[in-house]
Amino acid sequence: MSKITKSDLQKIAQNEMLKQTSYKGMIMVCTGTGCVATGGFDIRDIFNETIKKHGIEKDWIAIGTGCNGFCAVGPIAVIQPQGVFYQKIEPSDIEEIVKEHMIGGKVVERLLHKDPVTGAINEKMEEIPFFSKQQLIALRNKGLIDPENIDHYIARGGYTALKSVLELNDPERTIQEVIKSGIRGRGGGGFPAGVKWESGRKAAIARNEEIFIVCNADEGDPGAYMDRSIIETDPHSVIEGMLIGAFATGSKEGYIYLRKEYPLALTRFEVAIKQARDYGLLGDNILGTDFGFDITVHRGAGAFVCGESSALMASMAGLPGEPRAKYIRSVEYGYKDKPTVLNNVETWANIPPIIEKGADWFASIGTGDVKENPWNGSSGTKVFSLVGDIRNTGLVEVPMGITLREIIDEIGGGVPDGRKFKAVQTGGPSGGCIPGSLLDMQVDFDTLTKAGSMMGSGGMIVMNDKTCMVDVARYFIDFLVDESCGKCTPCREGLFAMKGILENICNGKGKEGDIERLEELSATVIDASLCGLGTSAPNPVLSTIQYFKDEYDEHIKDKKCRAGICKDLIVYSINEKCVGCTACAKACPEKCITGEVKGMHYIDKEKCIKCGICVETCKFDAVEVK
Amino acid sequence: MSNKIEITINGNPVSVQKDTYLIKAILDAGLAVPTLCHHKDLTPNGTCRLCMVEIEERGKKKLVTSCNYPVRSSISVETKSEKVVKHRKLLAEMYLGRWPNVKPVQDVARLCGVTDGSRFKSEITDENPESCILCGKCVRACSEFIQEKIIDFAGRGFKRHITMPFGQTDPHCIGCTSCAFVCPTGAIKIVDDLNNPVDPIMIRDHGMKVNAEMATLDKNQCRMREVGTANIVEVMDKYDLLPVMNYQYGSHKDTWKIDSKVLKERYFTQDEPDACWFGCSMACAKAIDNFELKTGPYKGQKVCIDGPEYETAGSASNMGCFDGDFLAEFNFYCDTYGVDTISVGTCMAFVMECYENGIIDKEYTGGLEVPFGATDATLEILHQMARGEGFGVEVGQGIKKLKEKWSKMRPDMADFMHDIGMEAKGLEYSEYVSKESLAQQGGYTMAIKGPQHDEAWLIFMDMVNNQIPSFEDKAEALYYFPLFRTWFGILGLCKIVWNDVVPADNKTKYKPQDAAKIPDHVYNYWKFYEGMTGIAVDEEKMLNMSARVHNLQKVMGLMFGKGGRKEDTPPYRAMGPVTKAEYESRAERYDKQLKEQVGFDPEGKTTEEKMNALRDFRYSQYNKLMDSAYKRRGWDENGIPTKERLKELGIDIPEVVAILDRYLEKKNG
Repeated sequence: MSKITKSDLQKIAQNEMLKQTSYKGMIMVCTGTGCVATGGFDIRDIFNETIKKHGIEKDWIAIGTGCNGFCAVGPIAVIQPQGVFYQKIEPSDIEEIVKEHMIGGKVVERLLHKDPVTGAINEKMEEIPFFSKQQLIALRNKGLIDPENIDHYIARGGYTALKSVLELNDPERTIQEVIKSGIRGRGGGGFPAGVKWESGRKAAIARNEEIFIVCNADEGDPGAYMDRSIIETDPHSVIEGMLIGAFATGSKEGYIYLRKEYPLALTRFEVAIKQARDYGLLGDNILGTDFGFDITVHRGAGAFVCGESSALMASMAGLPGEPRAKYIRSVEYGYKDKPTVLNNVETWANIPPIIEKGADWFASIGTGDVKENPWNGSSGTKVFSLVGDIRNTGLVEVPMGITLREIIDEIGGGVPDGRKFKAVQTGGPSGGCIPGSLLDMQVDFDTLTKAGSMMGSGGMIVMNDKTCMVDVARYFIDFLVDESCGKCTPCREGLFAMKGILENICNGKGKEGDIERLEELSATVIDASLCGLGTSAPNPVLSTIQYFKDEYDEHIKDKKCRAGICKDLIVYSINEKCVGCTACAKACPEKCITGEVKGMHYIDKEKCIKCGICVETCKFDAVEVK
Repeated sequence: MSNKIEITINGNPVSVQKDTYLIKAILDAGLAVPTLCHHKDLTPNGTCRLCMVEIEERGKKKLVTSCNYPVRSSISVETKSEKVVKHRKLLAEMYLGRWPNVKPVQDVARLCGVTDGSRFKSEITDENPESCILCGKCVRACSEFIQEKIIDFAGRGFKRHITMPFGQTDPHCIGCTSCAFVCPTGAIKIVDDLNNPVDPIMIRDHGMKVNAEMATLDKNQCRMREVGTANIVEVMDKYDLLPVMNYQYGSHKDTWKIDSKVLKERYFTQDEPDACWFGCSMACAKAIDNFELKTGPYKGQKVCIDGPEYETAGSASNMGCFDGDFLAEFNFYCDTYGVDTISVGTCMAFVMECYENGIIDKEYTGGLEVPFGATDATLEILHQMARGEGFGVEVGQGIKKLKEKWSKMRPDMADFMHDIGMEAKGLEYSEYVSKESLAQQGGYTMAIKGPQHDEAWLIFMDMVNNQIPSFEDKAEALYYFPLFRTWFGILGLCKIVWNDVVPADNKTKYKPQDAAKIPDHVYNYWKFYEGMTGIAVDEEKMLNMSARVHNLQKVMGLMFGKGGRKEDTPPYRAMGPVTKAEYESRAERYDKQLKEQVGFDPEGKTTEEKMNALRDFRYSQYNKLMDSAYKRRGWDENGIPTKERLKELGIDIPEVVAILDRYLEKKNG
C-alpha cells in the first residue's frame, strides 16, 4: 500500500463499495470477544468453507465483525444488506443456512430471534426491540464492517471528517465545533471534551511545549465492556477521532492506554494502526498535508485506579499508577509534565460523526440546550453494557435522556425467570443503586448524579429481588478496598472501616448506630479523598441506605436478610412440597439432609453450610430460605 | 503583571507569591496546620489529607489540601470551618486507630482534638510505637534528594507498605540516610556505625541541607545530576573561556558537538550516584556504556567509559577535536593507560601548534600529520606513548622537555615555544583560558604542584560572577582559596558540593567577595568536621590548619627546585595574546584596556606595537599580583616562606628549616 492523498479517499470508498455490492449478500458474523468465546471465528470460517464447497463464493462471503451488541444470543450472524438476524448458531447449522438461505432463498426460521415475552418471530434485526430503540453514533459501524479492514471503514465514510478538518485548516474552529456539540467525556467525568481541547491547546502554546493526545482504554468497571467493544468493532473511528483531536490541539504524539486484559482489542488496534500508517493516515504528512501524528499503544497492568487520568499518565511514564491532586490539571501538566488531552475511547469515537454531521446535529440529540454551554445538558448518545438479571444482556447505544425503564424493560426485555426488578446499579463499582420507583428517570450525566449515582463509563447492572442490597454495598466496597491505591488516608483507612461495618451487618453483628457511622465515614471519604475513586466510592453505600434503608434495618435489628443472601442471617429448611426424591440429600456436600425415599426430608441446621446446592437441585421448590 | 496575589486567611488579608503552596501562607501567618506527610524540602503529595482547609473561590466553596494547593487566584481560606474540623477529626481518629502508639500520630491527633482512636481499632491496628505510617517522606527523599528509587510503596489499599524492590536489599542504595532522616516515626533506622562520628545528627542536619538544595536548585543551576561537570563546556564557550587550539581562542563554532547536550543525548547512559563519596546526593559522575572502540588494543570491543568530564572535553577543544566519538575514545584510553587527559590534551595542543608553525613536520613525527583537529593521529600518538614507541615517546615527556629539545633544534622559534608551551613547574595547564583573568593566572601558576585549579579556581568568580573585581580582592582570593581548598585535600572531602550548587540566597545575603566563598556551605563543612571529630572549627582555625600543610608543601616544592618567582610566572599564552591573530580576535577588548588602563592610545598603532604594550602591561600586573599574594601568604618577595611564618605556624622544625636554608644557599650562590 502506498500513501494516499485526500482525493484517494473517495476512490478507495468507491472501489470497496463496488466490491461489496458485487455480492448478493454478506454474512456478518460477530467476532467480538463475547461471540469469539462461543466460537465466532469458527462460525465465520465454516461459513466461508461451506460457501466455497457449494461454489457460490462469488455471490456470498462471510465477514467477521466487531461486537453486535446482543451478546445474550451469540454466536450471531446478520445477512447484509438484507438485515436477516440469525442467533445462537451452531457449526452444524451452517450447512442448512447456506443451502436454505443462500442457495434456496428461504430464511431459516428456527434460528431467527423469538421474542421471549410475546413469542413473536423477528426476521430482520431492526424489528427486534433490542435494536429498534437504539441510536448508533459511536457504534455506527457495528456489524457492518470488518474492523481489520481499513477499506471497509473508508467505504462507510471513514476519514472524511479528518479530511474536512485538514481542508478547513482552522484548529480553533474545529475546537469550537466540538464545544458547540456539547459532547461531555464518556469515561465518567462528563467534562466537556471541547473545553478540554481548548485548554490543552492554550497551555501548549503558553508553555511552548509539545502536547500529547491520550485515549483512555483502561476500562476497569466490573461488567462493563463498552470501550472494548468499540475498539473491537471500529478501531479506526477511535484513531480518526484522535487524529482530529491532535490536529485541533497541535499534537504530534498520541497514546492509547489499553487494558491488559483486552487481547483482541489490542490486535484490532495494532492492525488498524498499521493500516493507517501504510495509507499515510498516521505518520508524517498525513493526507499529503504537513500535519503529522502517530499513535503508540501502551498496555496497562491491571490496576483499576489506572483508569483515573493522573494515575494513568503516571503509569504510562513508568511510575507507580497512583493519582495526584489535580489542582493543576493534566491539560497543563499531564504525561511527562507536559500538556495532555485525555479522552475516553467512546468520546474519541464520537468525534468523526460530530465533524461530519455538525455540532448542531449532535447537540439536537439528548437533553438540555448545550449549544451555548456544554454544561447545560447531555447531548448525543451513550453506550451502556446491560448486564445482570436482565433478559437481553448486551451492549446498547441510546440517546441521552432515554429513561431507565426504556432501557431495562424495552431494550433489555426486563428481568427474566419470573423474578421482580429491585435495583439497577449504574456507573461502575462506585456508582449508586437506583430503585424501581425511579425507573422513569432520564439517563443523563446530571440526573444520575442527583439520584446519588453517576453515569460513569456506562456500566448498568440490573438486580432482581433475590439481591441483598446490603450485600451489594459490601461487595462493591470490598472491590474498592482492594482497588484503592492506598495513597490517601480517607480512601485507604475509611473504606477499610466501612467494609468492616458492612461485613458485620451482613454477618448478623450489626448494631445500632452502624448506619449513622457509615454515613459519617462516607462524608469524610467523599470530601477528603484525593481522587475520583475515593470521592465516589461511598456511592453504593449511600444510595442503598437512601433507597433500601429498611433492608439495613432488618439486617441490624431483626437479623434477617430478605433476599436470602447473607448466610449468617438465613436458615435453610424443607417444606411440605418435598416429594422425597432424595436428589437434595445426594447433592448435599455436607451430607446434612436426611429423609426416607418418598418421605419428607430434613436439613440439619447445625451442619448446614448454606451453600445453596439443595435449592438448585430441588425441582419442587421445596427448599426454603428464611 | 504582578505575581502577588491577595488572599484572606480566616478573614485576615495576606499577600502571597503566585503559585505558593497554600500551607506556606498559612504557616507564615502563624497558624498551626496538622499534617503527617508534609516536609518543607520535599514535593508535597497530599496523602494524609490532614492539612485540608476550606477555600472560597468566586463564591464556590471547596475543600483542598493546603500542602499541594497552589495559590493562583484571590481566595478566602478558612482553616477551621465546621467541615474542616469534622473531617480532620475523623482522619486523625483513623490514624490513631491504626497506629495508636506512634508519637507524631498522637501529637497531630491532639492538635485535631482527638485522643482516642478505638473506634477504628481493627485487625490491621499496629501497636508498634515506631510503625511506618505511610507518609511517603522517605520515598520522596530517595527520589528527590538522591534521584533514586531504592524504596517505594508496594501493595494497594491497606496492604500498602514501604519496601525495596522485590523485598530485597537494593545494592544501589548509597547509604545517604536521607530516608531515615525524614522518617517521622523511627520506622527506618540506620544500622551501620557510619565510622562512629561523635555527632551523627549534626552531620545529617547539614548534609540534608545540601540534599534539599540538590533536589530543588541543581536543575536550574549547574545541572550536575543531569550532566555532571560537562555543563561547563557550553558555559565556558559562551564566556569565551573554553581553550581552543592551544588556548589561542575561547570559543568555537563547533563546541556544540561536544557540549553537555550532545553528551547527554548521545553518550551518557549512567547518571547514578558513584561511590566516590558515601551518600553523596549530587551524583555528578557520568558514564557511557557499550561504547565501541575504533582504535587501539581494544578495537571493536564495547566498553564502559567513566566520563567525559569537563576537563576532558576541554582537552578535546584545546586540540581542536570537536568530535564526540573521539572525546569518548580519548577519555577511555587515557584512563586505561593511566595518563592524565589534561596533560595529554594540553601537550598535544602544543605539538599541534608547533606542527602548524613548521617547527616539526610529518617526517619528524614518523609519518603522522598533526594539525589541530587531528583526531586519528592523536589517538595513534596516545597508543605509541603507551607502547613506548615512536613519536609518542617524545610527546609523553611533556611540554617542558619538548620545549627544551625543540628550542635547540629551532633556536629561531625558541621564544615562540616558550610563549605557547602551556606548562609551569613542568606540569601542563588545565583547561581554562586564563588570558583575561589575572586572578586565574595567579591561581594556576602560583599553585605549588603546578598550574591546575584544585588550589584556586577563580576564573568563574572573576570572569563570570565578577565577585573579586579589585586587585586587593584578587590577592585576598589567592590567599584564602588555596588554603580553603587545601583543607579539602587534608580532610579527604569533595569540593564539588561546596560550589557546584549554591544556596538560593547566597548572592543577596552576602557581598560579592564573601558570596564567592559561599559561606553557608563552608559552614556545612565545619559542621561535618565537628560532627565527625567533636572539635569545633571556624575560619581562623581552618585556615591555620591548612596553612601548615600548604607551607610545608611549598617547602617541599622548593626542595625539588620548583617554586621561585620565575617558576610561579606563566608562559605568555596564559596571560595575553601571543600571535597577531589572537590579538585581532579580541582587538576591541585589548584596545580598550590599553586606552583605559595603560594610557596607551591604540589609534593608528600597528598590531605589533599594541601587542608589545599590552605584554608589558600584563607582566607588570602579574608581578604586582605576585608581590601582593606573596605578602599576604607570609612569603618573601621571591615566594619563599619566611622563617617567621614557619614559626608562627609551628612548622619551623629543624628538618624543614634545613631544606629552606639549602634552597636559599643554592639560589644565592
